[in-house]
Amino acid sequence: MEINVLFFGVLAEVTKTGFKHYSGIKSFRDLMLRIQDEFPEIVHYNYRIALNNEIINEDPELKNSDEIAYMPPFAGG
Amino acid sequence: MSMIGKMTENILIPGPVSKVVISSLIEALSNDTGAGGHSVFIGQVRADNDGERRVQAILYSAYESMVKAEAEKIKKMIFEEYNDVKQIVILHSEGLVKAGEISLFVMVSSGHRHQAMQACARTVDLIKEMLPVWKKEIFDDNTHEWRENKQY
Repeated sequence: MEINVLFFGVLAEVTKTGFKHYSGIKSFRDLMLRIQDEFPEIVHYNYRIALNNEIINEDPELKNSDEIAYMPPFAGG
Repeated sequence: MSMIGKMTENILIPGPVSKVVISSLIEALSNDTGAGGHSVFIGQVRADNDGERRVQAILYSAYESMVKAEAEKIKKMIFEEYNDVKQIVILHSEGLVKAGEISLFVMVSSGHRHQAMQACARTVDLIKEMLPVWKKEIFDDNTHEWRENKQY
């Protein structure tokens, strides 16, 4: 599967990119491992993950072209 | 859609919320004769000083598509909780906003004053909790720091 991944806030700075495209993803777990391999420093940060604009609390089923976002604590207002 | 609804379809606006935009929204209220009160919250960038350095500006970034979706959810929640509320306006800055400039504008209109005031406060709380927006404080010595809202 092709998955687009967005990094926001401090995580955009840590990963030095706001956006990554991943190909050949087999599952959500597989994607998480690929991201952790590439950006090991993100484990030191607090974040939530959204799938297509919805925050997820457990591992979802992914579909081709899904959008995943890594979101540090919000700071609006 | 009301005139104010059309003027505020986009929640995120580049840079500060200008006083011109705010005054044109207040001006447009005269078309809305169903409301008896409008409660407004204006958030501005505070020049916090930690003893060594002073906040010069905040750089806001946002997950645009999710901001849109979450703002819709917030409005739906408010309309459900407060049956007298007629209209909710949310404008939030994206990009650089200097100390003293406005970064958030919320206006809630209702038939009678109490619900407008309560729902406005609740809307601001929900914005802080739910909108995927991030802020980086930029100090006068060119250092910066990421901030987060406390409710997380």
